[in-house]
Amino acid sequence: MVNKVSEQKDWRYAFFLGCVIPNRYPMIERSIRDVFEELGAELLDMPGASCCPAPGVFRGFHIPTWFVIAARNIAIAEDLGVSLITGCNGCYGTLRDAWWDLEHNSEEKKHVNKLLAKVGKKYTGNFEPKHVMQALYLDMGKEYVRGFIKHKFKDLKVAVHYGCHIVKPSDKRPWDGEYENPTFLDEIVELTGATSIDYKEKFMCCGAGGAVRTAVKEVAADFTREKLVNMREAGADIIINCCPFCHLQLDLGQVEVNNFYKDIIGEPFHIPVIYITQLLGVAMGMDPSRLGLVKNHNLKGVSPFIPIQPFLDIVKEQLI
Amino acid sequence: MSENIEKYIKRKVYNGTSSKIAQKFVDAGLEKLRSCINCGTCTASCPSGRRTAFRTRSALRRALAGDESVLSDIDIWLCSTCYYCYERCPRDIPVTDMIIKLRNIAVEEGYILDNHFTLAKDIFYKTGHGVPANGENNKKWRDLRESYGLPALPPTVHSYPEAVKECQFLMDEVGFKALLDNAKKLKDERMLAEEKKENEKDGK
Amino acid sequence: MTESEKKIKVTRKTRPKIGVYVCHCGINIAGVVDVYALKDYALTLPDVVLAREYKFMCSDNGQNLIKEDIEAGLINRVVVAACSPRMHEPTFRLVCKEAGLNQFLFEQANIREHATWVNMNDTEGAYQIAQDHIRMAVAKARTLLPLEVQKVSVEPSCLIIGGGIAGMNSAIDLAKEGYKVYLVERTPTIGGHMAQLDKTFPTMDCSACIITPRMVDVAREKNIELLTYSEVVDVAGYVGNFEVTIMKKPHYVDQEACTGCGACVEPCPVSVGNEFELGLAPRKAIYIPFPQAVPGEYTIDMESCIQCGICARPDVCEPDAIRYDDKPEYLKVKVGTIIIATGWDPYDPTPLKQYGYGRYPNVITAFQMERLLSSYGPVLGKPVRPSDLKAPHSIAFLQCVGSRYFREGGNKYCSRVCCMYATKQARQYKEKHPESEVYIFYIDIRAFGRGYEEFYESASENYGINYIRGRIGEVWEDKDHNIVIRAEDTLIQTPIELTVDLFILSIGLEAVADADKISSLLSVQRSEDGFFMEAHPKLRPVDTLTDGIFIAGVAQGPKDIPDTVAQAKGAASSAAALMAQGEVEIEPYYAVVLDHLCSGCRTCQSLCPFGAIDFDEFKKIAVVNSALCKGCGTCVSACPSGAMVQNHFTNIQLDSIINIAVKQPTVKNGQ
Repeated sequence: MVNKVSEQKDWRYAFFLGCVIPNRYPMIERSIRDVFEELGAELLDMPGASCCPAPGVFRGFHIPTWFVIAARNIAIAEDLGVSLITGCNGCYGTLRDAWWDLEHNSEEKKHVNKLLAKVGKKYTGNFEPKHVMQALYLDMGKEYVRGFIKHKFKDLKVAVHYGCHIVKPSDKRPWDGEYENPTFLDEIVELTGATSIDYKEKFMCCGAGGAVRTAVKEVAADFTREKLVNMREAGADIIINCCPFCHLQLDLGQVEVNNFYKDIIGEPFHIPVIYITQLLGVAMGMDPSRLGLVKNHNLKGVSPFIPIQPFLDIVKEQLI
Repeated sequence: MSENIEKYIKRKVYNGTSSKIAQKFVDAGLEKLRSCINCGTCTASCPSGRRTAFRTRSALRRALAGDESVLSDIDIWLCSTCYYCYERCPRDIPVTDMIIKLRNIAVEEGYILDNHFTLAKDIFYKTGHGVPANGENNKKWRDLRESYGLPALPPTVHSYPEAVKECQFLMDEVGFKALLDNAKKLKDERMLAEEKKENEKDGK
Repeated sequence: MTESEKKIKVTRKTRPKIGVYVCHCGINIAGVVDVYALKDYALTLPDVVLAREYKFMCSDNGQNLIKEDIEAGLINRVVVAACSPRMHEPTFRLVCKEAGLNQFLFEQANIREHATWVNMNDTEGAYQIAQDHIRMAVAKARTLLPLEVQKVSVEPSCLIIGGGIAGMNSAIDLAKEGYKVYLVERTPTIGGHMAQLDKTFPTMDCSACIITPRMVDVAREKNIELLTYSEVVDVAGYVGNFEVTIMKKPHYVDQEACTGCGACVEPCPVSVGNEFELGLAPRKAIYIPFPQAVPGEYTIDMESCIQCGICARPDVCEPDAIRYDDKPEYLKVKVGTIIIATGWDPYDPTPLKQYGYGRYPNVITAFQMERLLSSYGPVLGKPVRPSDLKAPHSIAFLQCVGSRYFREGGNKYCSRVCCMYATKQARQYKEKHPESEVYIFYIDIRAFGRGYEEFYESASENYGINYIRGRIGEVWEDKDHNIVIRAEDTLIQTPIELTVDLFILSIGLEAVADADKISSLLSVQRSEDGFFMEAHPKLRPVDTLTDGIFIAGVAQGPKDIPDTVAQAKGAASSAAALMAQGEVEIEPYYAVVLDHLCSGCRTCQSLCPFGAIDFDEFKKIAVVNSALCKGCGTCVSACPSGAMVQNHFTNIQLDSIINIAVKQPTVKNGQ
């Protein structure tokens, strides 16, 4: 495996935003920026970065386009001399897979660089694209992060949702081939004192990705319905995820499920959906307003779609 | 009489397995498709398959057998690319990559959903984002950003118009624009042919 | 052909008269190059007195061409330009020998595999290479000298490693033929895995019933020295003369004194997992593997034993057989042949997490099911499921677990027996519980043997076993520990979600865990799949490439009992053929020390991988044991004094080939 990892002793990353985080769930961006700052990491902006491009739709339409746009994005980070991190499984899927494939296919790499040269860019592959979870769990490590925890939950049942592209394809991921039963997200969640509960089909896809949500919303919503039923049955207080598209599908999708499938779900669902750095941040004693948890506006029809007040109440109750 | 013929006479018999579609896979270095033994592990692992008509194994089988309806059916677009099939295939076939390749071939032949076409042409190509925050319709999202102390527009292509042009240039060079234009052409031709057939039937 | 009376005398001083025979090999050679031109080219080479071409040199007529030329005194060196020497070198050597010419005055030029077969579309290139090969072979032939084969005696005794059904069958056959057999088995009893099976397909014979008589035969056979609880720790020597060191592990129970009464078992305070029962039942630290074990004496597993002394008490062990101070004993034997019959290990499905083995209690392997079905197993033949010890109403088997798997963590090959054993177990369970539902999830059903297809048909028609064509993707358990299965019925293209009480994994067979140790001990190779490699997959299935060592049974690859027994008998026959001859010829490619050049530095001795070099303390020079020497050439290249020479590959011979290959320019086709 080609593993040209930059020596990041002082944790500097280029922050790849993607689309959903900055343009639909900016609270996630807020929480990532502030939590990483607290942890002593520096996040550099990537000027002119575009859509990663999304693996289900755009790779599905035209693989060569996917390669060159992905390589262009990575090249922007390489220009800054650091690895990029992303908080999105989909962007991670694209950037990491493109990096991997290009490092293992010199013909394709040459071809892509020929195109990038025309716009004055160069892709070397020397900086491995990373996910926020990779930075937290592998680069910094659980013990390091544990040192920043100031308050712990006493009784918070979390349904942890990994999503798909963060662990698969497992041969191109840094988790030693583990994809049936990963534990890294549960471990980070449990640093906060919360309990990661077991629920049926914990590792099932949320349904958004792979062009499904954009193809037929109802189909994606049926995946989500199944997950929500299982999470509710297991007694989840909140859902934690590490991908904004899963976050969107579980959040806005939860409203859609309540609508499309109201005849078969019984009570409508109302489980707050929280991003991992938001949970981590409150346990680190950070002000919720730094984590995108406080509403400062009167806008209608924006995220979060499922009220997160129940979570804020638990935070108030259990964390001093 | 003719209604029964249309209803019952199908004559769907295909002529073997040296298919045009399979050759495209071989040419793309995806000849692993041919080692599929149809064990069904992929379909068994598929979260979409148990709620839709998508059958992972069948999609690959139809590709190998040359059944071109696999390109025009919506089924291959209902794969959520969860990668379980890829991980569990005992013949070590990168199944998800096969589905993606099938999608590519479908788009080449002009089979793309309207939503997806709009997403590709009017959103991704135009703005550089798959989910944009610029334009009048998206003001609330920019306001939302500001409410969290972030700049209205992120430092992406949204803040660098020359970056948008760069992406568009690359997409032209790599053939994306041509692909979409061709897809539209084929779609329009098919729609016209369908309309004509409908009119003829009504005329009768 | 009879051997010629007149032997042609050739020495270093004899002028070489080389005959070159170019074979057409049908169209294999003649279809690519001009063999007539090659013949003419050969005639242009120095010392070549005649050259011929023929369609098939290996045929009787072809061989006669050579024979007649030798007998007529025309030639004293033979070069055949044809296929690879691996094919017909022995054939042509025999021709020379029978015509009265020393068989090592023959050289074969490979112009098929090395020229025409690899350059089928490049006739000019192939021709040039063929010329090069002929020229080099002629150069070597010029320098060849007569050599004599060595004859070594063959000890009329055989070491058989492994006391399962294969090892026992080989042992009995050889013993009956009058050979002494050392049967070494590393567990305390013979019988192998077959003793763990309940019934055998397709006859439904009780496995123990058919194997125990064999076990008793082995114990009774005078010619068989049965060494159970023993391991081979060293093997030296060569074909016909292997020097084997066997370690007899300490039983800590005097095997002569022990009567097998079993009184020591109950009072023993230590319980550990029972390997024979595959973890489904415990055993004590002092134990016998199963009731019908042969020998029937007890053993203490000293790793688990706490030496409490209870079993040694006179009121417990009346014969006073306990010996805590027992030590391993080493036995050195000399044998002529060795048979490897080390069997197999079951595949461990724990890495396939999607099947829940090791996580969900009601997921077991078929091997464990075998113990549950066994009348002397942990549930006396009334299978129950682990979570609640109730007889399952519904059972599902999954075929090809760990087999036909082209990823990490499994084996690519098909294990050959699983389709049949699953059908067998399914049938057995249906016999005990006719109301139960039994499913077999498969990719293919391989029922290739005699009576197998009929057995499979009967399983469907008469027993109502549900065969579903679809490999299971994943399982999980519900709150009652039932197993929920997800598969696709591929024949109707429909996803299935099925809940069963018990899920059985039809695991494959793998090479034993320490196969690599055995491999290096005996210098035998293993194939890519981990099993020991036969000399030729079709024509020599029980030989290895190491002379005198044979393989039999699953050690050579997964197979059922009939094929195992057939191979065991085959290996015994091959070993007997060798031993019956009483002596064996060894090729004379050994190294020779030039005494006057040897400085006694012993570099060669330290490098020899076969321990074939001794040091003469008196003369202070190295001495090669020609029987042990395998002609690898290591010492020859290492000797700083140039005192080591290798027969048939001397420096002069090799130099002549190299020089002629590079100096003379190649001649164009037809010239």
